[in-house]
Amino acid sequence: MFVIGFFFLGLLLIGLQTTLLMFYPLWSGAPDLYFVLVAYLAYRHDLLRSLIILFPLSMIFDVLSGLLLGMYPALFILGFLLLKFTSARLPVRESLYQVPMIGVGYLLVSWLVYVVMSFATPSLLVPWSWPVMLMRAGLVIVCAFPLFRFFEFFSRRVEGRFFGRHKVRLRSGNRYRE
Amino acid sequence: MRKKGSRKPKGKFRALRLILLIGFLLTMALIFLVSTLGSQKFGPLHELLLEAAGPVQNILARGSDMLRSLKQDYVDLLTVRQENKRLWAELQECRTLSYKNREALATNTRLRKLLDFKETTKLPMVAARIIGKDPSVWFRSVIIDRGSRDGVSRGMAVVNGDGVVGQVFSVSPNFAKVLLAIAPSSAMDVLLQKSRARGILKGTGAPVFQLDYILKNSEVHEGDQVVTAGYGGIFPTGLPIGVVSKVARKRRGMFLEIEVTPAVDFLTLEDLLVVEQELIISEDKGGVLPVVP
Repeated sequence: MFVIGFFFLGLLLIGLQTTLLMFYPLWSGAPDLYFVLVAYLAYRHDLLRSLIILFPLSMIFDVLSGLLLGMYPALFILGFLLLKFTSARLPVRESLYQVPMIGVGYLLVSWLVYVVMSFATPSLLVPWSWPVMLMRAGLVIVCAFPLFRFFEFFSRRVEGRFFGRHKVRLRSGNRYRE
Repeated sequence: MRKKGSRKPKGKFRALRLILLIGFLLTMALIFLVSTLGSQKFGPLHELLLEAAGPVQNILARGSDMLRSLKQDYVDLLTVRQENKRLWAELQECRTLSYKNREALATNTRLRKLLDFKETTKLPMVAARIIGKDPSVWFRSVIIDRGSRDGVSRGMAVVNGDGVVGQVFSVSPNFAKVLLAIAPSSAMDVLLQKSRARGILKGTGAPVFQLDYILKNSEVHEGDQVVTAGYGGIFPTGLPIGVVSKVARKRRGMFLEIEVTPAVDFLTLEDLLVVEQELIISEDKGGVLPVVP
């Protein structure tokens, strides 16, 4: 149920991102809502279920956007693994610190994929623009907090429990290592 | 004694008053008779009477009007809330209708332009609508609601009433992805309409084209029209593409550096036409070639 629910939620986010939030074909102010979902799954859920959700969604995104097939699955899976790795390694796991990490991760992974793609297929991509990419990373950060709350709520609903594990668990005094 | 003395003058006064009253009534009757049976002239007396009665009438009429107005105001006040609600609802309805009309007018203008274009070019075309836009900032493509079932195939030219929009990049049975002409990977064979100089028009990712391979000795000026050359066979000849907006002659190199402003407004794209022509696709190189009859 969790996988199916999040798959359709991801589909809805992709739909929103490619239609309602794109005012015109050159609009660059549409937030990458799907990347927020990627980050949420990386931070909050296990690898297997997350990848089962992300692979087909990334492929759908790939079909709807871009010209190079396989670019978006690479970008999103790379982003997922990076955030998963950092969430496991970083000593601080508070949401307050995790949210900016999503923006940083988004920017880093986008840049990496762009560099690789521009080497592989030069003159296919629109030139890299730092102001635009910083703005998009900022939009991802802005959207992350409310979307994370919504995803938490949605997750509880699809898993059939109203009070999540994180809520009822007694927290230790050490907020850096829990 | 006093009582007796005071009674006498009272009786006299009563008789005098009676005589005066009768005299007055007789005078009035006489005036009435004279004016009725006489010359029927509206004399000074009538005028005087009218002048005397007029202000009274005026005051009374105003008072009556005021009362009527007050009553009306009160009645209005009783129904004003309902009326207000009704009027607001009516206003909203009118506004919605107005927006719808405006939208219908805009759609009508757009579609008429497309139809005119279709009739002018005499090419088989299929109308399509943009249903999705590429959210990435690195590519420039859109999804349209026509696919292979509608006769759309890869490589077909996509236009609108203003000129060339792009080219079909990939197709599914009901939908197709269109690579916009302003995408960096897009290149078209074009002609400068005035000088007939031929060049390659490339997308830059921004709403401006870059025109390459025009020799420095060519006559190119700002404002020159750029049209499709039709050499590749994908785009029909003479389709408007844009207008030369900047010409730079650098010391080095053989060619001019030319910027072209697109004829199509890529910010307001909605309805498109796919030019239906038979094309063969060379799968090994991923290229598209027109079918030679």
